[in-house]
Amino acid sequence: MSTDVEDLLREGMERFTADLRAPAGLTCQIVRRRRRRRLALRSLTGAGMALSAGAVALAVVVVPSPPHGGIDLTADVVKHVNSALTAADPGDIAQMSVTTSSASPYGGEATTTTAEEWSYGDQWRSVTYSSPGHPLYDEGYTASASSPVYTLVNYSTRTWTKRPGLGRPAAAIPFSTLPASRGCRPAIGAFPLLYKFGLPGIGLPASTLPSTVARSLRTAVACGTLTIAGRQSIDGIETIKLTSRPGSFISETIWVSPSTYLPVRVVARSASGAPAVQQTANITWLPPTAQNLAKLTVPIPAGFRKVSLSAVAAPTFRQISPALLPRPRAFCLMPAVNACGNPPLPVGGPPLGSGYR
Amino acid sequence: MAAGRSTAELERFLAERADHLLRTAVLLAGNREAGEDLLQTAVERLLRRWGRIDGDPEGYVRRTLCNLAIDGYRRAGRWRQKERLLRTELRQPQDATGDVDLRDALVRLLVQLPARQRAVLVLRYWEQLTDAEAAAVLGCSEGTVKSSGSRGLARLRELADGWTDTAAMSGRNGKRS
Repeated sequence: MSTDVEDLLREGMERFTADLRAPAGLTCQIVRRRRRRRLALRSLTGAGMALSAGAVALAVVVVPSPPHGGIDLTADVVKHVNSALTAADPGDIAQMSVTTSSASPYGGEATTTTAEEWSYGDQWRSVTYSSPGHPLYDEGYTASASSPVYTLVNYSTRTWTKRPGLGRPAAAIPFSTLPASRGCRPAIGAFPLLYKFGLPGIGLPASTLPSTVARSLRTAVACGTLTIAGRQSIDGIETIKLTSRPGSFISETIWVSPSTYLPVRVVARSASGAPAVQQTANITWLPPTAQNLAKLTVPIPAGFRKVSLSAVAAPTFRQISPALLPRPRAFCLMPAVNACGNPPLPVGGPPLGSGYR
Repeated sequence: MAAGRSTAELERFLAERADHLLRTAVLLAGNREAGEDLLQTAVERLLRRWGRIDGDPEGYVRRTLCNLAIDGYRRAGRWRQKERLLRTELRQPQDATGDVDLRDALVRLLVQLPARQRAVLVLRYWEQLTDAEAAAVLGCSEGTVKSSGSRGLARLRELADGWTDTAAMSGRNGKRS
């Protein structure tokens, strides 16, 4: 009987579980589950903190000077945002749509540039548009076993290049000079696309991989310059609005989802006294499905010519009129920073779209 | 880039072994939902230690699954509710004519065994481990595995006898009516 039961049990186990298949994207599910659980735990231990966040945040809107308790609340929300961003890196793909509006201080027309960006772990892609639906540059890093591979497509010259390693052209605007005390950097200094004036690589040191959006935002919120400024509906989501405190050298506003604490929109404006430049980044957090991961790959359009990296970037340099080059101080967002008084920038200019319209 | 490689390796491991591990988890937990939950928890722990695990990650997940099951994984909450539901299902088989396969019944009856006995039987008869290997997974002596397995089988036999008697009775009743 014993042997019978053993055999039957063995067969039963095989049959009972025969049609079981592990769900696809198990890792993603786990990452999401961890995040959900953390948030749920916080909700429980916070004893209605989220509700009170809304109430106090609204109070902050009505009363310009927040009560002392507001500071703690801000710290708590910022902590949650930080945790959510940690869980999202590299759990989710951050998809950003960035619009840069710049009122030219040189008598030219105000310009608007749009760009899209995706980041996931060590993979990153950015498409800059000259006008809606017309890409100008498509560049990105693809992770490979040995080293990252940099790909750049220039739609205006119908050329492309690809090379292994950190092959991105050197940064033309020294954003690396942004202050980074105690690992703190404003979002504007961390986003590759923010204040990216039309040339591939601007805004990024050539020797580093672009930071993920999640990591950049985490660094930004860690600055401690944000405070709760109320609630606001963004695309139907009643978000928590965080703004930089008065006196910050860059005015930044971050809207976070109250359910996930992930930022859904970031707006950065130049500080008072500098030309009016505003960048708006709408952020969507995507699960790393095969379809979404495909967005991280730079496609090479048919008929485009492969050239060297310098040949892809050089025509862009030439198309920008020297007359349009900004005076260094004019674009300086931080008058107190020594870099603003440096000699004129080697390259630069108005946002991308202006040269091609 | 190291993190990217690790993630890729993890994805590969899960792509290859997740189905089998899910089956183990379901057998340990008693049903699919609880099994998926158990596996997710085990893989979550694996994720946390992924960079530090030496050797076979499957062994780590298997050990974690068993430990979670034995330690009374969510016993106080959802698990007990499900267990009660399962027992209800077992008391009221859908097929009242006694035509329910004993093999399926035995697996369903596993859920009524104490967690350690259940784990031993799953490791012995599903994972095909030896007593020594099962002892290593469970962190106990070989003797404990043998006695737990023996007691588990004995209990299953009793349950199975009861099951077949009930089924036969139901069958007879069915014929009468």
